[in-house]
Amino acid sequence: MESLLYLDGVTVSFDGFKALNGLSLVLQPGEMRAVIGPNGAGKTTMMDVITGKTRPQSGTVLFDGGTDLTKLRENDIATLGIGRKFQRPTVFEHLSVWDNLELALKAPRGPFSTLMWKAAAEHRARINEILAVIRLGDRRDRLAGGLSHGEKQWLEIGMLLAQEPRLLLVDEPVAGMTDAETEQTAALLRDVAETRSVVVVEHDMHFVRALGVKVTCLHEGSVLAEGSLDSVSANQQVIDVYLGR
Amino acid sequence: MNSLIRLLAGLCLLLAAQGAAGPAGAADLAPLVRMLGAGGFDGTERAVAGMAEAGEPAAVPVLEALLAGDLHVRKPEGDVVVARRQGAEMALTDPLSGASLGTAAPAVVDKIRINNSLRRSIRAAIGSLTLMSPDPRIRLNAAHAVFKSRDAAALETLDTALGRETDASVKQAMAEARASVILASASAPEEQKLAAIDTLGERGDREVLSLLTGLSRDAAAPAALKQRAASVVTDIEQRMLFWDALQNLWYGLSLGSVLLLAAIGLAVTFGVMGVINMAHGEMVMLGAYSTFVVQEVFRAYAPQAFDLSLLVALPVAFAVAAGVGLAIEWTVIRKLYGRPLETLLATWGISLALQQAVRSIFGPNNREVGAPSWMSGAFELGGLSITYGRLWIVVFSLAVFALLVVALRRTWFGLTIRAVTQNRPMAAAMGMRTPRVDAMAFALGSGVAGLAGVALSQIDNVSPNLGQAYIIDSFMVVVFGGVGNIWGTLVGALALGTVNKLLEPYAGAVLGKIFVLVLIILFIQRRPRGLFALRGRAVEA
Amino acid sequence: MRMVLPGGLDRSKLVLPILLLAAAVYVPVAVLLIPEGSPFALSVHSAGLFGKYLCYALLALALDLVWGYCGILSLGHGAFFALGGYAMGMYLMRQIGPRGVYGHPVLPDFMVFLNWQELPWYWYGFNHFPFAALMVLLVPGLLAFAFGWFAFRSRVTGVYLSIITQALTFALLLAFFRNDMGFGGNNGLTDFKEILGFELQAPGTRAALFAATALALALCYLLAAWVVSSKAGKVMTALRDAESRVRFLGYDVERYKLFAWTLSAMMAGLAGALYVPQVGIINPGEFAPAASIEAVIWVAVGGRGTLTGAVIGAVMVNFGKSWFTSAMPEFWLFALGGLFVLVTLYLPRGVLGLVSDLWSRAESHRRRRPDDVPQASP
Repeated sequence: MESLLYLDGVTVSFDGFKALNGLSLVLQPGEMRAVIGPNGAGKTTMMDVITGKTRPQSGTVLFDGGTDLTKLRENDIATLGIGRKFQRPTVFEHLSVWDNLELALKAPRGPFSTLMWKAAAEHRARINEILAVIRLGDRRDRLAGGLSHGEKQWLEIGMLLAQEPRLLLVDEPVAGMTDAETEQTAALLRDVAETRSVVVVEHDMHFVRALGVKVTCLHEGSVLAEGSLDSVSANQQVIDVYLGR
Repeated sequence: MNSLIRLLAGLCLLLAAQGAAGPAGAADLAPLVRMLGAGGFDGTERAVAGMAEAGEPAAVPVLEALLAGDLHVRKPEGDVVVARRQGAEMALTDPLSGASLGTAAPAVVDKIRINNSLRRSIRAAIGSLTLMSPDPRIRLNAAHAVFKSRDAAALETLDTALGRETDASVKQAMAEARASVILASASAPEEQKLAAIDTLGERGDREVLSLLTGLSRDAAAPAALKQRAASVVTDIEQRMLFWDALQNLWYGLSLGSVLLLAAIGLAVTFGVMGVINMAHGEMVMLGAYSTFVVQEVFRAYAPQAFDLSLLVALPVAFAVAAGVGLAIEWTVIRKLYGRPLETLLATWGISLALQQAVRSIFGPNNREVGAPSWMSGAFELGGLSITYGRLWIVVFSLAVFALLVVALRRTWFGLTIRAVTQNRPMAAAMGMRTPRVDAMAFALGSGVAGLAGVALSQIDNVSPNLGQAYIIDSFMVVVFGGVGNIWGTLVGALALGTVNKLLEPYAGAVLGKIFVLVLIILFIQRRPRGLFALRGRAVEA
Repeated sequence: MRMVLPGGLDRSKLVLPILLLAAAVYVPVAVLLIPEGSPFALSVHSAGLFGKYLCYALLALALDLVWGYCGILSLGHGAFFALGGYAMGMYLMRQIGPRGVYGHPVLPDFMVFLNWQELPWYWYGFNHFPFAALMVLLVPGLLAFAFGWFAFRSRVTGVYLSIITQALTFALLLAFFRNDMGFGGNNGLTDFKEILGFELQAPGTRAALFAATALALALCYLLAAWVVSSKAGKVMTALRDAESRVRFLGYDVERYKLFAWTLSAMMAGLAGALYVPQVGIINPGEFAPAASIEAVIWVAVGGRGTLTGAVIGAVMVNFGKSWFTSAMPEFWLFALGGLFVLVTLYLPRGVLGLVSDLWSRAESHRRRRPDDVPQASP
């Protein structure tokens, strides 16, 4: 089976500091992967490389078999079908919840198309559907800036759903969430993963356990261990890294 | 010949007036001058010889007048006067002092007659008084005068003088003068002329260049001569190109140091706080006005110590600008933290108010700021001409820069500033009081701008608009050099100054500046974070 | 907070254009038909003054489109305004024809004065009004497009962008001061005689120019309102607040910025073109960086990010300026400087924001009173 995401030997350095050091990672279509690792292990930089925010000094980053992501700009990568959720929820605070979703909705992205755009019935139906999933139906006309932290997290996930990506990169989705919200988010992500591939970066081991997927542990910019959560957490090197040797 | 002698005479008068010897010498000469008119040709001859022997340059204009036939004996007193026709009357002047002695009827004066042998003696006397004067300055000037006049009649005296000359630089000047005369003379043999071309080639200035260029294009001149002249011209042109480039480099360095002064304070505030202070130029302006006020105080109370006024102005300007900066930080900038565009607008408003305040207090016109004696004048270095004012500004700006580097590198205060520059949240987490660091950094940046004002008051008009002239350039320097890196500011300032001045000869001042602006606009687009950008994730956040 | 409808123009957006339309009808009538002495009459002078304010309002509108909606603070919009003005000025110059001081059939006076023998190539065509009108939009538009293309592609943002926009207008200022540029140097272009065959000084022409300005402002306002309320406008608002997020949604941020930037520059050019025949001169002073920054404060005073606010702010500040500079000129810079500080410190949403805050507070107060149930504030 052809891999959806293929990273090999990816190196990124900032003024001599190697944020990524020969990182390799392969993701199959429909697979969900949890990425863990201590601070500074390169988790966020890895996402930056995949989404085109940071250009690697060397290495291969391929999407869907043949598309070289290192040559593309962020928006082109996004239109290929890679969605990203940031660590801090970033929604458009001065737009309503509805507008936030409308912007994310899969549709032509050029300025002249959007200038002339009118939401068709199917678009409205899709937005309503997502609003139901993320439980913000009654907040649709509120400005996003007025939402609570958890609601913003959900809105952002809703925006990712509206984007209909083939690969979803999620950075610490449950940071600052209550236990109940964490459970719901895990369930939501599992649902999502049925139709698309997901990479989740997370510190919260309970959440990772709740996901129940293959785990990759990063350390100092490269892969330290890979496998089930149990096998990774039993790995002596991983224990050393987390306990600080 | 006459023109040459008049020239020499003029020079000597000038020098005589400069030296204190003038009146005393004139007194010694008076009997000799009187002798000129007595005893016929012989008496005149003896008097001329006496003058040559006295070696008094003040005699030169007298001899010159004698040669021109202007010297007369006034009856019945028998004294010698210069008399020139003025309408029907003769205008009389004293031959030594040049003072007017009124007018007289032509019949009252008798012309002192000279013959050919006397004429030779007079010329020889003038030559020995100038080219062989005991004062090397007079000899040097005489040699320069011969060089310019290229008068063949001077050759004989010149050769004698050259044989006696001991001073190397005067000897050099005489040799050059001789070469110039030989080149101009129709009778000199070709090999002498070739040697003359070489001698002149070593001098290699603009005059020689035009002289030899003329020769190399002279159709009548022999081929060998033309060829030699042409090759020397090429040499000189290359040498001049070199010195011109060096001179432009110096101008560039000088402009760069001005830019550095204006921008360096901005580098601190912009670099540390990320704050665009549009009132920065007004801090410079305040520094310049502080200088003006300090100088007024000096003029009123201690005019004899005026040379020290700039030194006193430095701490005053620093304090004034830093104080105003602190006030701005406290009342406005602090409240706009994290909103750089709003800060830009608010500080622009402040800059307008400060300009108007200064205009209301000091008036809209330029104020006179004097230069202390140690900043006026110029000196030559090889083919370079360097003014002391510019030199001091270069030295001063580098000194301010060095002080700032030391302050940032070696002091605790500097350490906190650098920490806040690089990672504000982390610095705050480590217990640094970032608001206080901000305030201090802003005061420091403003104070340095005040220092810049002291220096700029020496080269620019001190007017309420002074700061406006520098604000855009300062921003260009900081942005070009890279924000948060004061070495970048140094390189940026010197590079922009130099590029500007090197472009100027080709494009003109205004086009050169436009060109530099366009270059910077393009540059920022290639490297949005400047020449020496801080890199890493922290910066992008 | 009023409900935000997805897509389509809101009816409240029609208030200002209707007022402008009314002014476009009223002012000519008041100037030409109502006899002097009547309280409804207007002098030609005041019509010219109001026309000038409306040109500034159009410039402010253009500025608000990029600053208020895309977050691009331009400190060089005066450059586009001035370029539009120069294009119009060149047409007006050519209209003088042989009636100049030197009476040259083709060359403007300043060229004769400089001993120029023939018209520079870039002056060709400006004797035709349609060509000049096209250039009024095209020249600022092309410059903005080229500048924006480079600047936005290389992700120059925030204060950096502001500074280079200022450098841009400064460079143009220096360039237009040069006599060799062929735009009249220091003195600029002036002594205009007529426009489209009408005497420029005639009351009828002045009134018509006012009406044209009011109409142009109304149309540009509607165009801008349509743009910002479209989905594209929402993308702009979104990129103002979180640029990289918009990128990760798949939008080519640079193209949106370039679109808004170029459109805005063309509006600014139009404003300059309407301004020149009404004030009778265009000179390099219009390129001064200070003038561009002053335009920013109009927008800030009125309320950044509300098109109506930009228009109101421009008219208010310039009305204040006219009053101050005649009543107590020495205080004008204090007032303007204070305005910059006060607005940025205490009125971040401008006068319009203040009014709407007061309004909604009063509204919620009124609504709350009957049952007195406190609402959770958003």
